[in-house]
Amino acid sequence: MTDRSAAQYAPADGAREIAVRASHVSMDFGGGVLAVDDASFELEKGRFLTILGPSGSGKTTLLRMIAGFQKQTAGEITINGKAVGAAPPHRRSIGMVFQRLALFPHMTAAENVAFPLKMRRFDPRTIPDRVNGFLELVKLGGYGNRRINELSGGQQQRVAIARALVFEPDLLLLDEPLAALDVKLREEMQLEFRRIQHELGVTTINVTHDQREALVVSDDIIVMDGGRIQQHAKPVELYRAPTNPFVAGFLGLSSFVEGKATADGDLQSGDLKVLGVSAGDVTEGVPVIAAIRAEQIRLARSAPALGACEMQLDATVIDTIFEGERQMYIVEAASLPGTTFRVYHHDPEGFGLFDIGDPVAIGWNRRDLKIFRHAAE
Amino acid sequence: MTAVSQRFLFWTIVWFCILILSVPTIIVVGASFTTANMISFPPEGFTFRWYEKIALARDLQQAFIRSLFVSTVCLIVSVPIGTLAGLALARFRIRFANLVQVYLLLPFTIPLIGSGIGMMLIFGEWRILGSLWPIGVALAVINLPFIIWSVSSAAGALDSDLELAASSCGAGRFETFWYVTLPGVMPGVITGGLLMFVLAMSEFLVSLLLTDARTVTLPVQIYNNIRSIITPDLAAVSSVFVVIALFAVWLLDRLVGLEIFLKSK
Repeated sequence: MTDRSAAQYAPADGAREIAVRASHVSMDFGGGVLAVDDASFELEKGRFLTILGPSGSGKTTLLRMIAGFQKQTAGEITINGKAVGAAPPHRRSIGMVFQRLALFPHMTAAENVAFPLKMRRFDPRTIPDRVNGFLELVKLGGYGNRRINELSGGQQQRVAIARALVFEPDLLLLDEPLAALDVKLREEMQLEFRRIQHELGVTTINVTHDQREALVVSDDIIVMDGGRIQQHAKPVELYRAPTNPFVAGFLGLSSFVEGKATADGDLQSGDLKVLGVSAGDVTEGVPVIAAIRAEQIRLARSAPALGACEMQLDATVIDTIFEGERQMYIVEAASLPGTTFRVYHHDPEGFGLFDIGDPVAIGWNRRDLKIFRHAAE
Repeated sequence: MTAVSQRFLFWTIVWFCILILSVPTIIVVGASFTTANMISFPPEGFTFRWYEKIALARDLQQAFIRSLFVSTVCLIVSVPIGTLAGLALARFRIRFANLVQVYLLLPFTIPLIGSGIGMMLIFGEWRILGSLWPIGVALAVINLPFIIWSVSSAAGALDSDLELAASSCGAGRFETFWYVTLPGVMPGVITGGLLMFVLAMSEFLVSLLLTDARTVTLPVQIYNNIRSIITPDLAAVSSVFVVIALFAVWLLDRLVGLEIFLKSK
């Protein structure tokens, strides 16, 4: 393990230690479209990375290449400084939790957890203690002798986590293991993943299509679409400063306005100048698309009641949707025909304040509307 | 239709099928207890005489032992081959997979008499006709589709992620097969194996062509006896077959559970 000793000699001034590095990784299944298209990223040791994207975005393919189940057609993946190349999965030190868990049905919970230790030639005398320790860690102490089909869905999740972590792998991979759970259990398990990951400090890559899960559990998030990495950032940064319209639309609830860029970086739609800030390469006259989040639009009965909003528009309520902790309004601005805005309205007293057809005023601050160059097509 | 008449129709059909399927068995088993010297049903009186007779008949005894041997050979040959072939068919994208499937169906589509004559010629050429073990091999060949289907349906029901999970646990290809895949398809292997054994015990036509006076198996021996006169001892022998089949089903239930057997497609 020359890489580890090299790391020990690294300067102690907090130099970053890279656990996983993907450089220009592509996967071509044939058919003219790359499943993963030139993906490059670095992941620091001990951090929790989520690859977020819709189905078909290439996120699972990228994970499977890291796991070694599939070999990339271009590029290189490095784990702890060592290029894994064509190393088969069992020669990589990677624990994985599968979407359908893939627990061995003919073994007990403890036998499942002991399996990687047996396969990786751990000292047989240490195996029972280690297995019990990890069952304790996932709060399944005393359940070791249960068969898999005698455990609840949540308990099976925990066995799968223990099995993936018991041999202290360099890297933990999570392939949407929470996707099939109901909301309550899913949220509980998200926090469990976070707790266990913090406790062990294991570098983790999680794959999901659930933006909430990504925001809750991750230190870093990569958003993928169409096989390409769209943005790689910390959750707060990703949410607040999306660098392209896809990310703006995929995280949170955004409304979009199309138009042309003005000289001072705003958006011109017909006669209306829409105030916002441009993100990235936007020059005067290029077609642009702007995004604003539902919680960043203010809504009032008339413009004076909006307070100090830099951008103010008259609008009409088209639909009103009760979402429990808030009301969502869909409104259409008079000066932007055909453009609808979705607005969250958190008002403990006055749910249902407005009705369909009511005239309202909406407003926002310039920094909250992000203007992106419109994609070439 | 009302629910009541629907249920009535349903159970009528069910009982009709059960009756039709079990009548021959009931008659044979019943007839084996008759006191008459000719086979008769309903039996006249009740006696274990014919069971005593077959237990003491040397030719039947020896034929029975030969049949056990032949079935065991069939099992030894067909289980490894059928298991691997069944897994391969279910797991890998094989070139000409359809052709292979059809080829595996061939033993069913070719009349047994054809297969039997073919094997008789081949075994004669190899000068192994007259030994007992080639009969076991022959029965393994003609019945192989049963175990292949049994295993491949079990393999098809297996989550393919299990093997990936095993390899991410550190298991190499062989360890993955031994600790994960094989236990996963074991219900199919056991089902197929028992089926092969029972089919080999009772196979007649091909056995008839491949046996001679020294290697005659039980079904062939029964046939030889029928040619002279149908006596109740033959019914008793048949009843023994029924008991063997019931035993196989019981064993299956104990080993894998009948519900798995019934579920396998």
